[in-house]
Amino acid sequence: MIDFETAFGVLSRAGVEFIVVGGTAATIHGSARLTRDLDIVYRRTPENLRRLIAALRPHHPYLRGAQPGLPFRWDEDTLKRGLNFTLTTSLGDIDLLGEVAGGGAYDALLPDCATVKVFGIECLCPDLDTLIRIKRAAGRPKDLEAVAELETLREENDR
Amino acid sequence: MTRANTFVEVSLAPDPVIEAYKKDVDRTLLRERLKRSVEERLRDLTRLQAVAEELRRAGRETFG
Repeated sequence: MIDFETAFGVLSRAGVEFIVVGGTAATIHGSARLTRDLDIVYRRTPENLRRLIAALRPHHPYLRGAQPGLPFRWDEDTLKRGLNFTLTTSLGDIDLLGEVAGGGAYDALLPDCATVKVFGIECLCPDLDTLIRIKRAAGRPKDLEAVAELETLREENDR
Repeated sequence: MTRANTFVEVSLAPDPVIEAYKKDVDRTLLRERLKRSVEERLRDLTRLQAVAEELRRAGRETFG
């Protein structure tokens, strides 16, 4: 379970540049589906990596599903060496994505995002068509159901 | 419509599989969701997550 209000606040106060994607973005657009984690696309500039590290460090990030006690270091080198990280934190499960199929990296996604003010915090969220592209590109069986719902939401918005 | 990006070109053209899934989407539920603010939608999700978590805990405790 993730506390969205706290998680958004933690990231925003630290100045992290991120875009909300996945099920949380779908919820923002009106989806009724349950998602258990927060997926964000983060900008991979050195400054933003440092902000992200500082923001999440107090919340004990660790690789989700990994055995306890692995030598996982939450630092800039680790983020530079990888791209996508599925983490457990004391805020809940957070997926950090350097890029997403169907959308690309932060800067590629940015023109197709809108600023959403939620809990008094401004967050970036892809528009519905972009979110559909990302979900279509993911192509997992569960994504087909999610795409069907998102496309239905688009139809409802157009009514 | 297609869009080139880092990895793949993704079409938004109707897809027969997705169209088949759409028949099962509950439009009345979505219409209710669309009446709620973004903040309310996220608060609803948090509550739903808490309920799902509690049901999983109860299931583990009962059925192992």
